[in-house]
Amino acid sequence: MNLDLSRRSFLKLAGAGVAATSVGAMGFGEAEAAEAAHVRPFKLATTTETRNTCPYCSVACGVILYSKGDLRKGETADIVHIEGDADHPTNRGTLCPKGAALKDFVKSPTRLQYPMHRKPGSDKFERISWDEAFDRMARLMKDDRDANFTATNQNGLPVNRWSTTGMLAASATTNETAWATFKFAKGLGIVGFDNQARV
Amino acid sequence: MSTSPIQPDPSAIGGIPKAPLAFMPNTARLFKERAVRLERLAENSRLAPYLTFLAGLVRIQSDLVDALPTVDPIPAEQVERAREAAMPPLDRSAIGQSAVFRETLKQFLDRAEALDKPAAAAEALAQVQLADEATLDWMVENIAADNLPIEALAQHLYVAAAIQIHAARLAGGLDAAKLVPIQVGVCPTCGGKPVASMVIGFQGAEGTRYAGCSCCGTLWNEVRVKCLACGSTKGIGYRAVESGTEDATVKAEVCDTCHSWVKILYQNKNPSVEMVADDVASLGLDLLMKDTEYKRAGFNPFLIGY
Repeated sequence: MNLDLSRRSFLKLAGAGVAATSVGAMGFGEAEAAEAAHVRPFKLATTTETRNTCPYCSVACGVILYSKGDLRKGETADIVHIEGDADHPTNRGTLCPKGAALKDFVKSPTRLQYPMHRKPGSDKFERISWDEAFDRMARLMKDDRDANFTATNQNGLPVNRWSTTGMLAASATTNETAWATFKFAKGLGIVGFDNQARV
Repeated sequence: MSTSPIQPDPSAIGGIPKAPLAFMPNTARLFKERAVRLERLAENSRLAPYLTFLAGLVRIQSDLVDALPTVDPIPAEQVERAREAAMPPLDRSAIGQSAVFRETLKQFLDRAEALDKPAAAAEALAQVQLADEATLDWMVENIAADNLPIEALAQHLYVAAAIQIHAARLAGGLDAAKLVPIQVGVCPTCGGKPVASMVIGFQGAEGTRYAGCSCCGTLWNEVRVKCLACGSTKGIGYRAVESGTEDATVKAEVCDTCHSWVKILYQNKNPSVEMVADDVASLGLDLLMKDTEYKRAGFNPFLIGY
């Protein structure tokens, strides 16, 4: 990319043997060859640095996740380190103690990775499928809303209030996700509600 | 009541400064520290002969900064005009015509004669010393365009080193606060290409990334995880020479958008890292990267051709 073979220059400064690299052209070809021989058995290790948003609170600090391996190259990737993103205008590289412990959150053996259900009276959680989970949530939400929905206030004015179910959403969301979350919750009339759209 | 001399300073809490756009080269230290680092790296490297030779050249650069008469600063109106047009205030195309630069080049070449060097390097030096005006102008133009002809790398290396002295002296007289960002991967002082970039641990800018100019030595802020060649943030990955569990301090930042790579040094992990010196000393990474689909985009007149 930084090379230019021009006849003009060749004619002007012909004389020194043409070597294609600075090191070779200065007469250090032997050292260059020694380095090449030394490095030949080594392999290149792939790592990635990925930007994301801390999921904990509505401040939404920027973080950089360091991993070994690259998913895009068909490798498996493993997060080795997480730190504050110094380029992010909100936190400029800083993190609170919770955010600074994010790697343990990702790696936690008790981390929730799929829907779990603890049956009434049971002392343990059991894994269920997403379909089962959604069906059950929809059923319970509908039953609760049908039983407790407030359609008018004490003065008889129509309102949209469902105060017996609450909803809490995470912070690592885009504007669009926050908008959709808000419409979903408020459309149902959920009163006890918090998400990123509040800030 | 506490009698400890260590007192809490709550004013430091919440006062996270914004990383400055640029750090101007400190000419009193730039070349001196580079020479020291090159000598240090030469102690344990297969490239020791070349590193030692470069250390000698850089020592001359450092000595000349002290020995040369002071250089006229870039006029304030030129800086202002450049600001308005988002252009670099240091005009590299004008360097060739500068009498101070011609004197810098002459003294640099004269002093370089005394260095121990292979025959090829000595021959190239003699050719540059004997070169006519037109040839010198042409070499300065090539270097100002960051485009070195492959068959004259040795000759251009000497001229580029002399330009570095002159450009660093001009840049050193500028106020970093007067600079404006120009474009990703372009030096805001002289418009030059970066040698590499460095994640720094400087107080007030910890963990940010600065690109280092191959011409004037300015360090300028660039957002991390972003290609310095094309500005893309998609498909950025890192490659390093595998070394067991140890975390590499020199990596290749590769870009799947433009298929090029630029070295990134982690100065926050090893404070003795110096961009130009460590770029040359990490030639092994360049050699391994040669076999990949990516092209080197970092520009260093001491390390062309990889």
